[in-house]
Amino acid sequence: MSYESLTRLGRMLLMLAIQLMILNNIHLFGYATPLAMGYMILCFRCSASRISLVVWGFLTGLIFDLFSNTMGLGAASMTLMGFVQPQILSSFMPKDETDKFRPTLRTMGLMNYILYAMSLLFILHFTFYFLEAFSLLNFLLTLGAIFIGTLVATLLCVLIELIANERKSE
Amino acid sequence: MRSLIDFIVVNKHWFVFILLETLSLCLLFKMNNYQGSAYFSTANSVVGFVNETTSGVTSFFGLKSRNHRLEAENEMLREELLALKSKVHSSKRHSRYYNAIGAEIINASLHRGNNLMTINKGSANGVNTEMGVVCSSGVVGIVSLVSKHYAVVMPLTNIKSMVSCRLANSDYFGTLQWKMGNIEEAVVIGVPRHADVKVGEVVETNGFSDIFPAGIPIGKVVKIEDSDDGLAYVLTVKLSTNFSNLRDVSVITNYRHVERRELEQKADSLQNTEL
Repeated sequence: MSYESLTRLGRMLLMLAIQLMILNNIHLFGYATPLAMGYMILCFRCSASRISLVVWGFLTGLIFDLFSNTMGLGAASMTLMGFVQPQILSSFMPKDETDKFRPTLRTMGLMNYILYAMSLLFILHFTFYFLEAFSLLNFLLTLGAIFIGTLVATLLCVLIELIANERKSE
Repeated sequence: MRSLIDFIVVNKHWFVFILLETLSLCLLFKMNNYQGSAYFSTANSVVGFVNETTSGVTSFFGLKSRNHRLEAENEMLREELLALKSKVHSSKRHSRYYNAIGAEIINASLHRGNNLMTINKGSANGVNTEMGVVCSSGVVGIVSLVSKHYAVVMPLTNIKSMVSCRLANSDYFGTLQWKMGNIEEAVVIGVPRHADVKVGEVVETNGFSDIFPAGIPIGKVVKIEDSDDGLAYVLTVKLSTNFSNLRDVSVITNYRHVERRELEQKADSLQNTEL
C-alpha cells in the first residue's frame, strides 16, 4: 500500500470518527446534520484516479451507513460526490497548475477553497437529504437542511484545513 | 471491437460509478422500508390496474358457488333470528307482571338497628306496601309504610328485614337477615348442609314471594359457617348495594300480587276450617 493510500485511509478513519461520534449527534434546528466526512473527498489531489475516488467515497459512505442506520444513503451520496470531484476541482483550481496539484486552503486561496468545498458539499447534502426524504413533501424543510448542513460542513472543513496548515507550518 | 474496448477503458470510472451507485441504491431500497414502499407504490399503480381488470373478468366464473354460499349463510341466519325472536318473546311474557317506578331516597338512617329509608313516591304514584325496592347494583329493601306522596322502605340493613334468597349457581334457597353493625354485610340462614357453597358465590332473589322477580343480585358469599344447631350453614354475604351513598332506586310493582295474596289467604282459611 502506497504512502498516499495510507494517508487517505487515516484521513477517512479520522473524518468518520468525527462524523459518527460528534456530528451525528448534532441536529441543527432539529433536522440539519452536517456531513463533514465529505472532507476526505475534498483532499484528493488533481488527476487522482477517478475509480479510486469513487471507491473511496463508496467505502466511506458505507461505513457511515453501517454506524448510523441509513443503509445505502451515505454510500450513494458519497459515491456521487467522489465521481464529480475532478470536474469541480478543475473549475476552481488555478489555470497553470500541474497534475500534482493538491487542493488545500494554502494552494487555492480562501475564497476559491470555500467555493470548491461548498459546491462539493452541496452536492453531498443535496443527494443525501433528497434520498432520505424521497419526496417533495416537506420540500422547504429538506432544502433548509441541505443549506444549513452545507454551510456548517464547509465551515468545519475550512477549520480543519486551518488546523492542518498550522501544524505543517510549525 | 477495438474502439469498444477503448471506450470501456477510457470510461471505466463511469462503469465503476454506475455499479457502486446502483449497489448503494439497492441497499437503500432493500434495507429501508420507507424508500422501498414509496418506490413500490408508484410502480404498483400500473400493476394494480392490470390486477383489477383481470379480477373483474375472473370473478364472473365464481359467482355461482358464491351464490350458494350466501344462500346457505342466509338460511343459517334466518334460523338464528327465529330462535332469538322466540327467546325475546318468552322473556317478555315472563316479566310482564312486573313494573318499575323510579324514586329517590330523601331520608335514610344507616347506623341504627332499625334503619329505615324514605322515598319520594307514594300511593298516588302506585307504590304500595310489600313492594320490592331495587337499585342498579341490586336489592335495596321492601316498602313497609305508604302515605299519599311518600313511602318508607325497610332496607336489607334492618334487623327486622327478611328476604328470601337463593344461591345463583345451585338454586339452594335461604333467608337473608341483617345483624346490627356492619351495613356492608348480612347473613343468609337456612341453607342446608348438603348445599355446595363456595366463597364468592352470588346470592340473588329467588322470586318465591313475588316481591322481587327472580335473579336480582343481593351480594356475594364471603364467609361460610355452621349454624348453632349444626343443621344448616350461616353464610356471611357482602351486599352488592352500597347503602351509604344510595340515591336513585326503583320500586317494583306486581299487579298480580293482590290476587295471589287473596288466593293464599283463602287457602289458609280452608286449612283452618278443615282442622
